[in-house]
Formats: sequence, C-alpha cells, structure tokens
Amino acid sequence: MSSDLHSLMAPYALDALDREEHERFEAHLAQCVDCQGELAGFTATAVRLGDAVSHTPPPALRDRLLAEIRTTPQERPVVTALAQRRSLRRTLPRLAMAAAFLVGTVGVGGYVVEHRNAQEVRTYDAAVERVLSSPDAQTIEKSFNAGGNVRMVMSPTANAAVIFANDLPDPGRGKVYQVWMIGDDGPASQGWFKKSDSMVMNDIKDADRVAVTVEPDGGSKQPTSAPIATIGI
Amino acid sequence: MARRKLLGKGTTVPEPAHLRLADAPAYAPEHVADLNDLLTRVGRGDEHAFAEVYDALAASVHGLARRVIRDPARAEEISQEVFIQVWQSATRFDASRGNAKSWVLTLAHRRAVDAVRHDQAATNRENKYDWSNGPDYDEVEETVTISLEHEQVRRCLDGLTQLQREAVTLAYYQGYTYAEVATALDANTATVKTRMRDGIVRLRDCMGVAS
Repeated sequence: MSSDLHSLMAPYALDALDREEHERFEAHLAQCVDCQGELAGFTATAVRLGDAVSHTPPPALRDRLLAEIRTTPQERPVVTALAQRRSLRRTLPRLAMAAAFLVGTVGVGGYVVEHRNAQEVRTYDAAVERVLSSPDAQTIEKSFNAGGNVRMVMSPTANAAVIFANDLPDPGRGKVYQVWMIGDDGPASQGWFKKSDSMVMNDIKDADRVAVTVEPDGGSKQPTSAPIATIGI
Repeated sequence: MARRKLLGKGTTVPEPAHLRLADAPAYAPEHVADLNDLLTRVGRGDEHAFAEVYDALAASVHGLARRVIRDPARAEEISQEVFIQVWQSATRFDASRGNAKSWVLTLAHRRAVDAVRHDQAATNRENKYDWSNGPDYDEVEETVTISLEHEQVRRCLDGLTQLQREAVTLAYYQGYTYAEVATALDANTATVKTRMRDGIVRLRDCMGVAS
C-alpha cells in the first residue's frame, strides 16, 4: 500500500475523509488484504468510541419503526449473497467477477464485457463492488407489465448507484431508453440503451431521483417524454 | 450553523467532562453471538428479532446520532433511518465477517456524518451572501466536551496527547473531515492524519481491541 493511501486509513476509520478520498480509499481497500486486517482493528476502536455516548431514544421511535418495517421490503438475496462473498471474490479475476455478477443478476454480462475495454471494465467493476459492498446499499426494483424490470442499487456512503435494466420491451423503431439523474439543476443524462444494460452513476448525493424515458436513437439533451420509471434517491 | 463552527486559533479544547460510569456494554462473547444470531434472523425477515436488535442497540445508535448531529429531532430522524437501513440490509450481514454491533454502529456513524455534512452544506448555501454576522470563531468549547458513559473509553482518551485526542474526537464526534480538523487546530493536514493514526493505535491498544 502506498504511504499516501496508507495515511488515509485512520481518517477513513473515523469517517473523516471527503467523498473523493473516501472512494479512492475504498477502491484500494477492495484489493488490499493487508489493509483490511489493520482496518478491522481501527474500525473496532471507532465503534467503541461510538458506543461510549449512548442515549436512550424516545419510546415512540420503537413503535414507529416496528410499524414501518412491516411495510418495508428487504433487499433481495441475489445481490446480497454476492456482496457477502467478497473474500471469495477477491481471489477471482476481476473481469470474471464483473461478468459473473451481471450474468447472475440481469443476464447481460456478455454485452457489457464485450463492449467495454479492459480499463473501463476494471473501473466499472470497482465502482459496482464499491456500491454493493457498502453497508448502507439498498435495492429498489420496478417491474413492468409488458415485461422486464429496472433495478437500482444505491449507497449514500459510496455516493453512487448502479442501475440494471433487464429485458425491457422494445422501445420502438429508432427509439432508445435514456436514464436521467434529476437534482436541483434539472435532469442530467446518464446514457441510453435498447433493451438491457447496466450503468454506474456517481455523485448521487445532490440528486433526488433517477428517471428512465423513451427517446430518439442517440439520446436527447433533455427528456422529451414522460418517464416510464422514476426511482427516488 | 453553530453546530460545526470551527475553532479559532489558540482556542483551547477542554478536557472531556461530565463523565460517569455505566454498565459495561455487551462485549462478552455470548452477547456478541446472540446479537449476530438476531441480526441474521432479521435478514430472514424476522420482526421479533428486529425488535430485539433494536432494544439492544437503540441507545448506542441514538446516542451516537445525537452526539454527531446535536439537534435532537434531526438525530431521531437519522436513528430511524439507520434502523430502517438495518432492516433492509440485514440480508447482507455475514456473522463470519464481523459482529452485528460493529456493523450497525459503523452504518449509524456514516449516516450521521453524512447528515451533518449535508445539513451544513445546505446552511452554507443559504448563508452564502449573508455577511451581517461576520465570521464567528469562538463558540465551540461546549460542543467538544464529551459525555462519555464508558469509563474505559474516557481513560483511554485521557491517555492521548491533546492533539491526538482533538484530532480523533473532532472527526469522530463532530463529523469533521481531517482537512477541517487541520483548519480547526491550525495544523497541517499531514500532521493531523498522523495524529489520528497515532491516536487510534493508542486507543486500540488501551482498549484491548485485537489488532
């Protein structure tokens, strides 16, 4: 581990990195077994600091939570099982990992792997792993009556989301599906696809939702139709 | 805004105060195993297990949220979000890779720090053109004071140098980035990173955390 990154371990354990350095360190961490050992001790120490300031919450909070979970879906095990096997996956070639993940979840691994160069795949793979392995990652899925679904895994900690579109209906001749991230500054295009694809979206913190619209082939600068799906962040 | 004002140059940070002893938290192996088992059951949708996890960890999570966020109403909101997150993500908890309490408190701390930074950024945007009050550097003392319930943590914090202690507590209890800590303490960032590291290593050894 370089001394530069090494010096970020203590601030990381204390959550004292800004967003960019946090991501940089986590990307490194995913590949550095030695760091993980030392970090575990740092994290356990930080947890003890956290545990030293306990304060009993109002009783109403318990009631609200117990009511709320009754209507709150849990994450799907297909994603979670993969995230849990991080230690195993570390030993697999990263390219195979990306393919396995995509095939396993949405069946489009072949497309993605074939159409991105190796560097892109590595970057993409690291971003996907960062999102999936965050302790606060959550999954939202929208299915369509006409077939197909859109699934989004997002993590406030990683400040990123991965959206998977699986087998959506043909958008029509000369049309594509375009993905938008919508924040205070309006919709920002994240790219477009025809039927199935996945894409990583960074910097989700300032956005409040992601929308998918049908647009002319090549994509539009701004949405020109009502969204077929909207997912709140 | 008062929540995260930076310290002025030369401001001294008081020693942690208002300390009292409390029952030792559940670090005994049997408690760890129980909580791990409960959280695993939460991952399978067990609402009763969730209630038990809540009862075991609510005070820790809420205390941490209050410590970092300070505004009690906002802290309660964040505590609620944390436990909803626990419910949603417990499917991914792996008892062979870590313990439940650590998993939940790590999640809670990140969430609280994110919230305090997000709120501060919003306040800064609102105050962008408001110069009427002028810069304000001198009203933080009280926010650095730590109300520790755990004697060991207090004792171990006392064993740090002042700069180590300030670097660790400003970051962990107030959600400062190390760059903000450097500004607050009028030190350079490399020094602050080193002090954080030295501070954590010393705390870890003092608390008997396995390294």
